[in-house]
Amino acid sequence: MIIKGGIVYDPANGIFGEEMDICIESGRIAEDARGEVIDASGLLVMPGGVDAHSHIAGPKLNTGRIMRPDDSRIGTEPRTRVCRPSTGYTVPNCYAIGYRYARLGYTTAFEAATPIIEARHTHEELEEIPIVDKGALTLFGSNWTVMECVRDNDLGRLAAYVAWGLRAARGYGVKIVNPGGGEAWGFGSNVKSVHDPVPHFDVTPAQIIRALAEVNERLRLPHSIHLHFNNLGRPGNYTTAIETLELLKDIKPSRMRQVVHVAHMQFSAYGGTTWKDFESKASAIADYFNQTNHATMDLGQIIFGPATTMTADAPLEYANARIGHQKWSNHDIELEESSGVVPWVYMRKMPVNAVQWAIGLELALLTRDPWKVVMTTDHPNGGPFVNYPEIISLLMSREKREEEMKTLHEMVRSRSTLPSIEREMDWSEIVIMTRAAPARILGLEDKGHLGIGADADVSIYDIKPEEIDPSKDHAKVKAGLSRAKYTIKGGVVVVRDGEIVAAPQGRTYWVDAAVPESDMDRMLSSLKEKFERYYSIRMSNYMVQDAYISNPFVVRAGVQPLKEVI
Amino acid sequence: MRTITIKLPEHRGVPVEAERISPDVLAGLSIREISEIEVWQGNRRLHLSDIFLVSGDPDPDTPENTRIVIEGDLSKVKRLGEGMSTGVVEIIGDAGMHAGNSMRGGILRIKGNADDWLGREMRGGRIEVEGNAGNYVGAGYRGERCGMRGGEIIIKGNAGAFLGEHLCGGTIEVMGDAGDFPGCANQGGIIRIHGHAHLPGAEMVKGSITAGSARVLPSFVHEGTVELGGSTYKKYVGDLVENGKGELYIASGQIGK
Repeated sequence: MIIKGGIVYDPANGIFGEEMDICIESGRIAEDARGEVIDASGLLVMPGGVDAHSHIAGPKLNTGRIMRPDDSRIGTEPRTRVCRPSTGYTVPNCYAIGYRYARLGYTTAFEAATPIIEARHTHEELEEIPIVDKGALTLFGSNWTVMECVRDNDLGRLAAYVAWGLRAARGYGVKIVNPGGGEAWGFGSNVKSVHDPVPHFDVTPAQIIRALAEVNERLRLPHSIHLHFNNLGRPGNYTTAIETLELLKDIKPSRMRQVVHVAHMQFSAYGGTTWKDFESKASAIADYFNQTNHATMDLGQIIFGPATTMTADAPLEYANARIGHQKWSNHDIELEESSGVVPWVYMRKMPVNAVQWAIGLELALLTRDPWKVVMTTDHPNGGPFVNYPEIISLLMSREKREEEMKTLHEMVRSRSTLPSIEREMDWSEIVIMTRAAPARILGLEDKGHLGIGADADVSIYDIKPEEIDPSKDHAKVKAGLSRAKYTIKGGVVVVRDGEIVAAPQGRTYWVDAAVPESDMDRMLSSLKEKFERYYSIRMSNYMVQDAYISNPFVVRAGVQPLKEVI
Repeated sequence: MRTITIKLPEHRGVPVEAERISPDVLAGLSIREISEIEVWQGNRRLHLSDIFLVSGDPDPDTPENTRIVIEGDLSKVKRLGEGMSTGVVEIIGDAGMHAGNSMRGGILRIKGNADDWLGREMRGGRIEVEGNAGNYVGAGYRGERCGMRGGEIIIKGNAGAFLGEHLCGGTIEVMGDAGDFPGCANQGGIIRIHGHAHLPGAEMVKGSITAGSARVLPSFVHEGTVELGGSTYKKYVGDLVENGKGELYIASGQIGK
C-alpha cells in the first residue's frame, strides 16, 4: 500500500509537515511498496493515535455499565455489515470503544488500572474491543505483599512479586493508585500525606512509591511506574504532587524514558484549602515539569457534561458520592486494592468545574516540552475519549478558548491563568502529545512514529494543513479530527470516510520479566501462605491463562545481568 | 382535520414496536406511504400494513391538524405516540407499554387501559386514560434522574406502583388508587391521587402530592391542616431523609405512622 502526497507529521523522526509518500508492506512501514494507492494529496497524515491512560476494560467498567442503564441509551448505533451494535457514551460497550477510537484515528489504547485478581475479566473485555492494540497496567500500590516487602526493605522479593504479578495479570506495567490509601480505606480512613503510615503495615506511601520505582527500573520494564497521587481530587493537593515527584528525582532510569508517569495531572494541581477558595496551581506544576526531566504526565482534561468516575482510589469515590449526592459503588479487592465508581456531571456554571477545565488546558500550554504531556481525559473520569478533537481544537486556538470561557462561570478567569495564555499549539506538538510521546512514555518502540519498520498505524484526516489556520478554523479542526478520512491499523484500512470498513482483532501487549530464581522462590513461599489463609480463590485459579489472549505481544524484560545470577 | 385510522385486525403474540405512529411522522405522508413505514415485531422488520389496516383522509396535512385513531387490542403494541409534539392520537382499546413516552405536545387519549411506563420522561402535552394504568407512569426510565418534566397525565381508574417516580415537573392526576411509592424521589412535580396512596413521597425533595387517604412514611412531619378547594387536608413536609421540602396533603382516612 502507498499513501500518496500527504502532508506528513512524524516528529519522532524529525518530519514536520512535509509532503511525502508512505509505503506499507506486511503491516509495517517500508521503503517502497506495491498494491493499493491511497490518494492523500494535501491531507494531514500522522501516525495512529496512542492513548496511554484510559479505562476501557475490567470490572469497574462493567460496574459502571450496570450502574448506568441511562448511559446505554446515549450513543446507540445499529449493527452494520462490519460492526456489532454500539451503546453508551461515558461507559460504552466493548465494541463501541474499538470503533470510536478507530474513527478518531487512534490505533492503540491502554487500560490504566487492573487488580491482579480481576485481570481475567479485564482480558475478557479487551478481547472484545476490536481494532485497537491494547494492554493493561497492573495495580500494586495497596497490595499486602508489596507493603510487606517494602517494610522488610527486601527489593529482590518485591521485584519477584512485581514480575510474578505482571505475569499473573498479563499486565504491561506498574500502576500505583493512592498508595496505602486503598488499604487504609478498609478501616474507613485514608492516608493524608506521603508520610502517613498505612494502618497495620508500618510503611508510608513515600516508601511504597520509591520501592516500586526502584524495582521498576531494576526490572527494566518498558514503562515507568504510573502514579495516581495521594490526596487526588482535593484542594491544596499540588503540594503533595510536588513532594511525591521530589521523592523520585534521584532514581536512575534503566531505559530512555521518564522514571515516573503521573496519571491525570489535572486532578492533582489544585490550590486552596477548601472548595470555597479552590484555585488552579497548574502553573506551579508546569514550572516543576519545566525544570525537571524525570517525570511525564497526562492531562485528565475534563469535558463538560456527563462522566463516570471510576478509580482504585476508594476513599476519593466515597467523597465524590457524598458531594454529588450520587449513586456509588465500592469494592474491596481482597489483599490488593479497593475501588469505586460514581457517575458525575461537569457543569459550565459550576465554579469548581470551570476551574478544573482550565487547569487541564493550562498544564498542556504552560509545560514547554510537549514530550512531557500527553492528552487524555482519563476516560471516562474527566469525560469520554470521543471528545479528544474538542481538546485539540482548544489547544490550537486561543480564540476558541476565549469563546468557551464566555460560557463558563466567571471564576475561570480569577482562579486560573488560562485567560493570559497566548500559546497556540501547532500540528507537530499535537502529534507529539497524542502519538509520539505516549508511545515513548509506554516504551512502545514500533508505535507513535512512521519510521521504516514501525507498525503501519496511520491516520489521515480531511484537513489540509497548508490551507487551514487551526487558530481560526477550529470548528473544521474539530470536525476533521472527529471522523478520520482513513485509519490504517497494521496495514489494514479500518476506517474510510469516517466509517468502519474492517474490524480486525488487535494485539494485547504484556510484559514478561525475568528475576533471579532465589528471589522468586523466597517470594512464592510467603505468597502461597497468603493464598491459603486469606484469599477467596486458590493460587492455581489465579493466573490469566494464555487462552484468554488470542493475539498476544509479549515484551521481555527483567533483572540484569541475568547470566550471573542463574 | 385529517383523520388517519389504523386497525389491528387480530392480536399477535410477539410485541410490536410502533414508535413511528405519531402525527409528527404520519401527517405529511400519503396513505400508501404510511402503509410502508417500518415497524418491528420482535426481530423482524415489517411494514405497517403487514400488521395493521390503514385508511383515512388521503391528503397530507400539518401535524397540528392530524388525528390518528388506532383500534383493536393494542396491549402488545408498544411506544404508541412516542415523542409526539402535536396533534391527537386516540387509542380505542388497551395500549401497550411506553405509550406517549417522551411526548412533547398534543393529546394522547387511551379509551382502555394503559400498560407500564405510560408517558415516561414526558415533556409536554396531555395524556388521558379511561381505564387503569400500569407501573411507572411518568417515571424516568432505568437509571435516569428525571422523569416527567412537563405536561399532564389524567387517569380515570387506578395506577400501579412508582407513579411519577423522579418527577421533575408536570402534573399527574389519578381518580382511583395508586400503588406503592407514588411520587418517590419527586423533584418538583405535582401528583393528585383521589383514592388511596401507599407510602407516597419517599425520598421526595420538592413538589407536592395530594391523596384521598394514605399511609404516610415516618420521615414526614405533620404541619397542621390546610384548606384546599373547599376540603380540609392534613399537611406533611418531607422526606426528611433527603432534607426534603416536598408537601404531602392527605384528605382523610387511614393515616399511619
